[in-house]
Amino acid sequence: MNLTALEPQALEIIKRYDEPRAAMLPLLWLVQTNVGHIPSEAECWVGGLLGVALSHVREVVSFYSMFRTREAGRHELRVCTSLPCMLRGAGDVLAQIEERLHIRPRETTPDGELTLTEVECLCACEIAPAGQLDEQFVGPLDRTTIDAIESDAVAPYTGSARIDEAHPFVSTDGPVISTRFRNTGGTWWDAYIADGGYVAARKALSSMTSSQIVDEVSKANLRGLGGAGFPTGRKWSFIPKASLKPRYLVVNADEGEPGTFKDRYILERDPHALLEGMIIAAYAIGSHKAYVYIRGEYFRPAERFARAVAEAYERGWLGKNIQGRGFDLDVVIHRGAGAYICGEETALLTSIEGGKGFPKLKPPFPAISGLFQCPTIVNNVETLACVPFILREGADRFAALGTPKQGGTRLFSLCGRVNRPGLYEAPVGITLRELIDRHAQGVRRGHTLKAVIPGGISAKVLTAEEIDVAMDFDSLQAAGTMAGSGGVIVMDDSASMIEALQSAAKFFAHESCGQCSPCREGTGWIHRIMRRIARGEGRLHDLDDLLAIARAMEGKTICVFADAAAWPVQSYITKFRAEFEEHITTRRGAETTHVDEARACPP
Amino acid sequence: MPTLTIDGRQIDSPDGSTVIQAAETLGIFIPRYCYHPGLSIAGNCRICLIEVEKNPKLQIACNTPVADGMVVHTSSVKADEGRRAVLEFLLANHPLDCPVCDQSGECDLQNFYMNFGLYDPRFREQKIKKKKAVAVGPHVMLDQERCILCSRCVRFTDEISKTGEFGIFNRGDRAEVGLYPGQQLDNPYSGNVVDICPVGALTDRDFRFKARVWYLSSAPTVCNGCAQGCNVDVHYVLDRPHLNDGARILRVKPRYNADVNQWWMCDEGRYGFGWIDKGRLTKVRRQGAGATWEQAVAGITEELTKVGERDPERGTCLRLGVIASPQLTNEELFLIREIFQRALGARVTASVPMPAGNSDNFLIRADKNPNTHGAALIGLTDATAPDAAAIVAETLEGQLDALWVFGYDLTKLVADEDLQRLSRSLRLFVFSGTNDNPTAGCSHWALPTAAYLEKEGTFVNAHGRVQRIGRAFPPLSDSREDWRVLLEIAGRLNLGFAWRSPEEIFQALARSVTPFAGLTYERIGLHGASLMTDASVAEVAVT
Ligand SMILES: Cc1cc2nc3c(=O)[nH]c(=O)nc-3n(C[C@H](O)[C@H](O)[C@H](O)COP(=O)(O)O)c2cc1C
Ligand code: SF4
Ligand code: SF4
Ligand code: FES
Repeated sequence: MNLTALEPQALEIIKRYDEPRAAMLPLLWLVQTNVGHIPSEAECWVGGLLGVALSHVREVVSFYSMFRTREAGRHELRVCTSLPCMLRGAGDVLAQIEERLHIRPRETTPDGELTLTEVECLCACEIAPAGQLDEQFVGPLDRTTIDAIESDAVAPYTGSARIDEAHPFVSTDGPVISTRFRNTGGTWWDAYIADGGYVAARKALSSMTSSQIVDEVSKANLRGLGGAGFPTGRKWSFIPKASLKPRYLVVNADEGEPGTFKDRYILERDPHALLEGMIIAAYAIGSHKAYVYIRGEYFRPAERFARAVAEAYERGWLGKNIQGRGFDLDVVIHRGAGAYICGEETALLTSIEGGKGFPKLKPPFPAISGLFQCPTIVNNVETLACVPFILREGADRFAALGTPKQGGTRLFSLCGRVNRPGLYEAPVGITLRELIDRHAQGVRRGHTLKAVIPGGISAKVLTAEEIDVAMDFDSLQAAGTMAGSGGVIVMDDSASMIEALQSAAKFFAHESCGQCSPCREGTGWIHRIMRRIARGEGRLHDLDDLLAIARAMEGKTICVFADAAAWPVQSYITKFRAEFEEHITTRRGAETTHVDEARACPP
Repeated sequence: MPTLTIDGRQIDSPDGSTVIQAAETLGIFIPRYCYHPGLSIAGNCRICLIEVEKNPKLQIACNTPVADGMVVHTSSVKADEGRRAVLEFLLANHPLDCPVCDQSGECDLQNFYMNFGLYDPRFREQKIKKKKAVAVGPHVMLDQERCILCSRCVRFTDEISKTGEFGIFNRGDRAEVGLYPGQQLDNPYSGNVVDICPVGALTDRDFRFKARVWYLSSAPTVCNGCAQGCNVDVHYVLDRPHLNDGARILRVKPRYNADVNQWWMCDEGRYGFGWIDKGRLTKVRRQGAGATWEQAVAGITEELTKVGERDPERGTCLRLGVIASPQLTNEELFLIREIFQRALGARVTASVPMPAGNSDNFLIRADKNPNTHGAALIGLTDATAPDAAAIVAETLEGQLDALWVFGYDLTKLVADEDLQRLSRSLRLFVFSGTNDNPTAGCSHWALPTAAYLEKEGTFVNAHGRVQRIGRAFPPLSDSREDWRVLLEIAGRLNLGFAWRSPEEIFQALARSVTPFAGLTYERIGLHGASLMTDASVAEVAVT
């Protein structure tokens, strides 16, 4: 291993960042890409280059799931066992793969070709049960794809065989975000310009003041589509006007909420829309540097976005003195490395700063003191991708698409046991029933709808009777759940709520950052009880214990992850208690698949 | 300054302060694990939950800035419930091995459970296994299962020792504290992590299994390891000699002093107390044979009365040399000056050669004496004073007839044969000190004296701060405080000193040595007092 050979590249990377330490993740990626894993010499090397103690380099390496300290196979197959994939048979798929390859997760085939990894949601739920072979998403994993994987990966690599890409349903009719999604290979410069691209950014830079832009976005009723639904214009206005510190725009492309896969399509198929939205936002908040945090598993999305960035630099839409308007903006693409919590905006900032993805204490809030202790605005990919439309077509038009308090359309990710999983753009006021029945074509013939999680796994579950609810933030909140990320996970009558909750519990136990005691201990505790119940070793009072633990976790932690971990417990048990009790009293569970893994909880 | 109300009591608290601090000022203790006033705020343990009116969610007191009109309840039903919940989580995976844990008795899990917990435990799952009893460095033992991941130790090695050894690896409930494989916690301040660890995860290897903490007595003093003078508490046992092979001191802990050492001390000071219970001089010896204090005082005084008289045989005056020590207290150095220099006209010094030790720009000073500054102020090290080497040389040349050495081992200056020769040629050769050494062996009189912990007195640290050393326990065996010995001799010499205690000696000193002007034991108190600066000295002179 020759680390010195990597040094010029490393120094180039360090230069991109405002603080050397922030180059931690990219340098670790550089090592892993070149060496295959991160040996301890490399940890020393990275620590030395960045002036970071070895213990802290190791903290980072051990925090992110994608980094490995030991040699692995020439290929890695990641198999998702989060709820949306479980609902489509991931448990059996994993068992099949194990049987075919004669290895268990975290093991490598004896010939050193393939390492099998069990992972939480890859956000490829539209092709569930999904996996990822090295950088490529594969799915639905069925006999044919598994065959292909075996010949593609396990047989010595020849560089020829390819696994066919699936073509799930994706909206292409807009009106706001999906209009260019028909370009499956990406919408590049000419096509984007031909479709009215950069008109909005030109308008902003040449004829609008910062506060006019903020007003326009506020008038459009654009709400944060990352999950919290905070009014975007208002968020931008929190940037202190007088501060002399640099300001940062940070784009949250760490899409990780199980059941959600919208940002990936924007990055892959319409990256310039995001970039144009970023230019407008950066101009509005007076930022000259934007970081785009793309989740580690999103290799191709990151490549495509990088291509758009390069095009924009070439065409004078990034860099110094953009379009001669005297406004500068640089963009840095930062890659995650496998940690759901980095989607939480302050964890995302700590992660860019080169640390473990620990959410930060608030106060201070990012708009006052965020990235590198400077005023920072974090926005979701989709939120920013809506901005060019608003400036080009007018705030009123955008607002009119939605409800009185939330403008526009949004991308709904539909997955689970529906006939046509996919990505659907629809007005935010559409009902859940319409989304499921009309767009996703309902549940399989012979089955009835049982339950729906309307906004990513963190949202409280709705029963089949509760789906006549509009999908905007306020309506879903009034219905006792949340719109979240727009990830709709559908369960029909063949789904077991016990398995569903066990899977959710596994996810939260695996993804808690572990700093707050209620969350760290609570998620693990819930998971262990759920595992036991699923195995048929439950006791009736476990249900009350679970509710009490969930209640005790709520509202006591640094970020709302702990609350999000509590909500499924509360809603599944409250709404489906009879099913849980029956499962426990009849001691069912012997049939549980082996996906009652040991990974989130070591023995 | 914002005014807020905590548990019905109003308080003004400075801008930027937090509720936990404001409450403390009111004497209201809010439990805490991760919060430590000397470290940055981590806010991760969540035990300090409080209720703030108009805020639906409980807040953490350690990161809630005070605000005008804020109304806080630290033990409302909701806050109590919240804290109990947090404690239950913290104990969920805790091994509950108190019977074999050194922290037992001073553990904040035990304490807060009794005060704020007392719930019916619900946890019935298998606990997570982690590593136990790992020696992470020369002084510190780590038990990962007991760790509550408060990150105090990590912040200490990042922010205070700036050595970065600790890290918390992995995430979720797999998170564990530790060091990078192959690294050692061997920084010069490593022992502090044991103090700040709120539970029994980090324990002291030196103290391990020696005694239950409830058997320990504690006394405040000042470390004598270097010129910094870190404030410390000594923990000792007098009535259970079986616990520690008869040694009285079990451990030394830093005592908070904002101006000297804050919450910290170095390992050398912390673990360097062995000499106080080992290798001590315990009996008065005359030419190697046992003698009593009465004989010694009488015999020595008799010789001293001859100092200054003409030696009929040689035709010269009998002359005395004294090698005092910057390990002695100001009171003792003052007596030495008054008796030997002023009354007997002796050649006196407190400048003893000592190779400069290690130092840093935090606490550790190169000068390993606790009272160099005091000795200088009293005039025993200034340019007019000879140094120890000069006095020894003069003795060897026969210019001095009597020599008193306080603690110092002359073999550091001269060869053994010279020491023998010196001993033979002197009329009087007194050694007084705490521990045995070759000089004691060659002296005519070897006097066992008290260690600094066994006597009252003051030191002046490198920053000109006078600090009392207290008296933890009486002098070992037959040893006596230097000041007591000196006062007795002064009495025999009829010098007319009216002082009977260190405190009275100090009053005389404060009257005589300007920088000490105005100071009393009471004013020095537990935290010391700054000497007069040049400016304030001038002021006193004017008034
Ligand atoms: C546990 C957790 C995970 C989150 N994951 C994401 C995510 O993957 N993508 C995202 O955009 N926002 C995510 N968020 C929301 C962000 O914290 C933040 O609200 C959002 O990025 C702000 O952008 P917006 O206002 O444009 O929605 C998450 C929040 C939490 C608490
Ligand atoms: S609530 Fe959980 S995920 Fe959020 S900061 Fe605390 S431990 Fe981390
Ligand atoms: S070892 Fe002690 S100080 Fe360090 S994190 Fe654990 S409990 Fe806190
Ligand atoms: S003491 Fe406040 S959160 Fe730990």
